[in-house]
Amino acid sequence: MTTLDLTGVSRWYGNVVAINDITMSLGPGVTGLLGPNGAGKTTLLHMMAGFLAPSRGEVTLDKEPTWRHPEIYRHLGLVSEREAAHGFLTGWEFVYASAKLHGLADPKGAAKRALELVEMTESQNRRLSTYSKGMRQRTRVAAALVHDPGVLLLDEPFNGMDPRQRLHMMELLHDLGDEGRTVLFSSHILEEVEQVSGTVQVIVAGRLAASGDFRTIRRLMTHRPHVFAIVSSDDRRLAVALMASDSVAGVSLGGEGLVVHAGDYGTFTRELPRIALAQGIRVRRLTPSDESLESVFSYLVAA
Amino acid sequence: MAIIETRSLTKAYPRVVALDQLTLQVDPGVIGLVGANGAGKSTMIKVLLGLLAPTSGEVRVLGIDPVTRGHEVRARVGYMPEHDCLPPDMIAAEFVTHMARMSGLPKTVARERASEALRHVGLYEERYRQIGGYSTGMKQRVKLAQALVHDPDLLLLDEPTNGLDPAGRDAMLNLIHRIGNEFGISVVVCSHLLGEVERICDSLVAIEAGRLLRADRIESMTTGTDVLAIEVAEGTEALAEALAAKGIQPRLDQRALLVPLSNEDTYDVVLRTVADLDLPLHRLEQRHHRVAELFATEREASNVG
Repeated sequence: MTTLDLTGVSRWYGNVVAINDITMSLGPGVTGLLGPNGAGKTTLLHMMAGFLAPSRGEVTLDKEPTWRHPEIYRHLGLVSEREAAHGFLTGWEFVYASAKLHGLADPKGAAKRALELVEMTESQNRRLSTYSKGMRQRTRVAAALVHDPGVLLLDEPFNGMDPRQRLHMMELLHDLGDEGRTVLFSSHILEEVEQVSGTVQVIVAGRLAASGDFRTIRRLMTHRPHVFAIVSSDDRRLAVALMASDSVAGVSLGGEGLVVHAGDYGTFTRELPRIALAQGIRVRRLTPSDESLESVFSYLVAA
Repeated sequence: MAIIETRSLTKAYPRVVALDQLTLQVDPGVIGLVGANGAGKSTMIKVLLGLLAPTSGEVRVLGIDPVTRGHEVRARVGYMPEHDCLPPDMIAAEFVTHMARMSGLPKTVARERASEALRHVGLYEERYRQIGGYSTGMKQRVKLAQALVHDPDLLLLDEPTNGLDPAGRDAMLNLIHRIGNEFGISVVVCSHLLGEVERICDSLVAIEAGRLLRADRIESMTTGTDVLAIEVAEGTEALAEALAAKGIQPRLDQRALLVPLSNEDTYDVVLRTVADLDLPLHRLEQRHHRVAELFATEREASNVG
């Protein structure tokens, strides 16, 4: 039970269209859900989790609709954005209660395994109110994972976490994806999404703007020249040589090296080593400047 | 002159020690203040503002002791709190004017300065609307404007990009960078996002459990390693074999091949190999240390080298 499918899903609140005709399929592995504030990410997550009926279209988990179908909760876990956890419970009590609510055969064993997975066993007997944000968040992930679901949805799991907690959570999500679970998480911190997973679903104004590996998405934007920064032993001479190539749309000499706008990615990246060698110029650094998730995202939002 | 100086600064609460014999010296510029949750950052800010007296030790902000002369410190320091602290039923222009008057500016000057500060942070016509109807990004801008309104020499910003989406973050970071570099105001930024700190700060102060973990220039924390990373858009395996045949043993790290950068000739050998195989060269770069290594777990650290 690990494939989540959305088919022509829309959701409106009165006159406001929050989600507009989205079709996507999520399989095992970690996927980042991105979009500006108000793009409809939370609405989408809630429809996936069966909290909200689509106004049109259908959300299914392995062919079963998620709306009005509580059986899916045997295979799905959700960590919501709001910190809904009772401070007077200990970590153990909270996760154990979740295990019992799921009617698991061995709730104690399940709670123990879930707490081990998020590495919270040591502090499980302290009250939630004494936890740091990162510890609380991890405990909530444990509660959502206690029934060993194939699908885990997380709304802004990194919110309020400090650097070490962030690294830890990234590792955890990575491992869960490697185990063959379908993990979808929303986040605004694109560098972190890039580190956890290259696969993204980008929502802009309620519509699916792009999906897949962001590097592939970037390659498909053929109308935008690819920008590279180059540092070499002789930048000016290299600039002249590059300008002679058809694949180069423009070259500028900056404070530190060259900036090249390449019209044709494939040709330029093959030609550059040859041109540099022919001129006897040593290339010390070649870096793509607009290949990061950050720049791909800003292109998508601006488009 | 150092903008912030502390000597064995200690703040003990009944049950925990928030600051433990902290000694540091912060030079002007844009400074990142990082640390785990509960490391003592908030306590530090309160002490610097003279709102909380330290248990022992000495502290100077802009050469003034905030313990005895808190008013003078606050007259020259702007503070942007992390939490949502704006009155929702007030108009932004009025609120910032009010804050300017609280800092001692006369009525007319306060109004002019408020309007200017709001314009600097990018709020134009919106400033005549009630704050309650603002987006998170606009609220963050109002908080920044009120910190700037009395023309301070030092700004303390607590998590200025909290809750912002990518475009909002980008705008806020550019703004902070401009304040630090064009207005010549020193800025201390508390943040959990080390990438952010790397991008806008000149130096960094990391505290852990109330003690100084590291204080250094950003450049000296992001120095180059002796590893060269090569990425090709296709044919990574063929390249690895060809490099190995030339006596350079590559190591695969996600989509990059890492080779030891023994001397300058390595660049040429790599370029020659790529050209001979006719592969699209995507990236050729010396690996750099990252600020995140300060907090990396062992597993993360082993991936860096």
